[in-house]
Amino acid sequence: MGEEIKVIVFKLGSEEYGIEVDKVQTIERMLPITRVPKTYSFVRGVINLRGVVIPVIDLRGRFGLEDTEYTDQTRIIIVAVNEMEVGFIVDSANDVIDLHTDRIETPPEVVGGIKAKYLDGVAKIGDDRLLIMLNLSEVLNKNEIIQLESLEE
Amino acid sequence: MDMNQYLSMFIDESNDHLQSLNENMLLLEGSPNDLSIVQVIFRSAHTLKGMAATMGFEDLAALTHQMENVLDLVRNEKLAMQDFIFDTLFKGLDALESMVQDITEGGDGKADVSAIVSSLQAIVRGEDLSAKPVSADEAQASVSGANTAIQLDEFQYSVLNQSIADGHRVLYLDVYIRETCQLKAVRAYMVFDLLERSGEVIKSSPSAQDIEQEKFDHSFSLYYITLKDPAELQQQILNVSEIDKVTVMELDQESLQQMSELGSASQQAAAAVEAPVKAEADEKKPQVPVQEQHASQQAPAAKSPAKTGGAAPSRTIRVDIERLDVLMNLFSELLIDRVRLEQLASEVQNHALTETVEHMSRVSSDLQDIVMKLRMVPVDTVFNRFPRMIRDLAKSLDKKVDLIITGAETELDRTVIDEIGDPLVHLLRNAVDHGIEPIADRISAGKPETGTVHLRAFHSGNHVFIEIEEDGRGIYRDKILKTALKKGVVTEEQAAGMSDEEVNQLLFAPGFSTAEKISDVSGRGVGLDVVKAKITSLGGQVTIYSTPGKGTNFSVQLPLTLSIIAAMLVKMGSEKYAIPLSSIVETGIIRKEQIRTVHGNKMVEFRGQHIPLISLSRIFNIKDFDEREEAETEIIVIHKGERLAALAIDEFIGQNEIVLKGLGKYLPPIKGISGATILGDGQVALILDPNVFIK
Repeated sequence: MGEEIKVIVFKLGSEEYGIEVDKVQTIERMLPITRVPKTYSFVRGVINLRGVVIPVIDLRGRFGLEDTEYTDQTRIIIVAVNEMEVGFIVDSANDVIDLHTDRIETPPEVVGGIKAKYLDGVAKIGDDRLLIMLNLSEVLNKNEIIQLESLEE
Repeated sequence: MDMNQYLSMFIDESNDHLQSLNENMLLLEGSPNDLSIVQVIFRSAHTLKGMAATMGFEDLAALTHQMENVLDLVRNEKLAMQDFIFDTLFKGLDALESMVQDITEGGDGKADVSAIVSSLQAIVRGEDLSAKPVSADEAQASVSGANTAIQLDEFQYSVLNQSIADGHRVLYLDVYIRETCQLKAVRAYMVFDLLERSGEVIKSSPSAQDIEQEKFDHSFSLYYITLKDPAELQQQILNVSEIDKVTVMELDQESLQQMSELGSASQQAAAAVEAPVKAEADEKKPQVPVQEQHASQQAPAAKSPAKTGGAAPSRTIRVDIERLDVLMNLFSELLIDRVRLEQLASEVQNHALTETVEHMSRVSSDLQDIVMKLRMVPVDTVFNRFPRMIRDLAKSLDKKVDLIITGAETELDRTVIDEIGDPLVHLLRNAVDHGIEPIADRISAGKPETGTVHLRAFHSGNHVFIEIEEDGRGIYRDKILKTALKKGVVTEEQAAGMSDEEVNQLLFAPGFSTAEKISDVSGRGVGLDVVKAKITSLGGQVTIYSTPGKGTNFSVQLPLTLSIIAAMLVKMGSEKYAIPLSSIVETGIIRKEQIRTVHGNKMVEFRGQHIPLISLSRIFNIKDFDEREEAETEIIVIHKGERLAALAIDEFIGQNEIVLKGLGKYLPPIKGISGATILGDGQVALILDPNVFIK
């Protein structure tokens, strides 16, 4: 069973992640970001994407990875999930691949420091490349963030 | 035929007609003798019936048809309007509305209307019983050759009368068709056809419709205006096959009057048995010129403001709301580019460029006006359902209430209009339920037994005010405080120090209800706080003015629009923020030594009073600006109602028209920030919500 899907591949550190292409609206180079005070720590602010104001979150911050400097390679991936538009800041994004869903396996507890609940699975591509498929609705789930924040306080 | 493409048109027009029916029924209730209103109602009902039948909504058409029957009787003065008839008709309207609503939501518009239909039929029958003998009499009389007059209505009478005065011939004809005739309707039609070629048939008995359907014996009578010679006419009619006999009588004004009196008398004699026939029917018959009558009828009706003015056809087209939204969005983009161009032009210092940009700015601000106006809707679209609501409400509470609407033409942005309906309904219900006293109380207080609720809308500056004022019992400070204390909304100490305005605002506190008895109308204590929340979320305010014993005024202040506002742009270090101009009192500069510390709070003196100095940089964690390091700080004095506060800021950029945008769905609401806008350089600036800073 299963089907062939197209996946956008992006990088955080040395790990490669995948998002289904139909959830991605565009991929942008870094844009000027306006900081928004008093909100989640990983929300970098808002950008103007052709007249629409869109919040952007630092995916490294979201997954509790350490911050890095933005480079030429840094990209903002604009995704739309559950009628929410959000931009993800990632280290780089430069590949689109075809992937058969049969090749996605249930992830182990923690992959690259990311809890399994944010992941749909892990797919082996090529000989030694491992692609981590993100579960976007879980990444953008706000209930869980609120719990997280209250624990931190 | 595929009707879908007509469906939205049908729904729109049905709603228009229902609204007009509702309005006119209310007008008619105020002046039940005004037949011109009945005419309007009848036409609306008739059109509605036609549309519903065409679209295949049979229940809708059937019900409208029954209502039309009743109205037809009223129109022809065979039935006088009475309370129970109004109630039945209103019930019918409600049923129609819910059917149209059902259709709007994709239903088939079917509903069980048999109860209403049968009571409408009963009304019609009640009259029929008395009306039938008349026609029967006439029929018999006609057969026997007697000269029974036809009942003329005022209008027909005056037309005939006028024709005589103008020198036309007014004839009264009795036409007898041979009894053996098989196709008497056809013969009758031929007679009519002949007559219409050289004159006008004003009225026939039986009616032309009945004659067409062969609902007559062998004779009919009619009033006819012509210039022809009666004898010649008689001969022409006799030339039609199977016509037995024609009597032609030429009438002058005197005989016309006699004839019509005879008609109405004969009808009244028959009607007097059971039917409530209009008493004035007879009085109206005398030779009063028609214009004068109309004038006298309209005079009382004219006092209600939403009169027939609305009936005049306006030159409008219907536009899908979404298209307007798209237009608005596109225009916002243009506005952003305009600001950007202005910036560039001022940098480049090229004369020709500056001139062009200035011209473009002027054109675009005109364009902005128009785009904004396109989205403006008169508050009437919300107000128009209130008269009916107040009527029903007053009836159910056994109170007498006049609703006087002024300024219904005042326009508001559609986004505001969409949201304001429910809060207003609540305030109005509140006014009728809690404000206006029961009749007995009013009389003992020396007030007229009918309470008055004024609903006013008017422009003032950049705002629209909607006021709901009644002459009811007013708000008693002690009573509110007692309840507030009991419910724990305030403490004793707080209560003692409160101004009247603050006490009134307690009405809007969550969980507060002063009505001793909970009625099903309002007063479950969940109302006014919701109203306030809604109005505040629209950027508006509610103020209460009340005189105990005299009445209360709820004044709602609303912004003209929610999408473009004037704002002051300020710099905080490297960040830019926009502050709505509507909450700014003034700007100024203070020196460090002018800042005082009271109880650990920073205060500055402003026009003789001390107001708190709020540090935006600390609230928003702005890293590259801190006013404490400055010797002189720019401040913006903001207000929330009467209260003031000063915001310490880094630098003024200037005043600008900004387009409001949301922050996106992902972010939770942020205290102190109401949204974002896009600046001329393409960057996003956050819009402050100054109300939050004033506690």
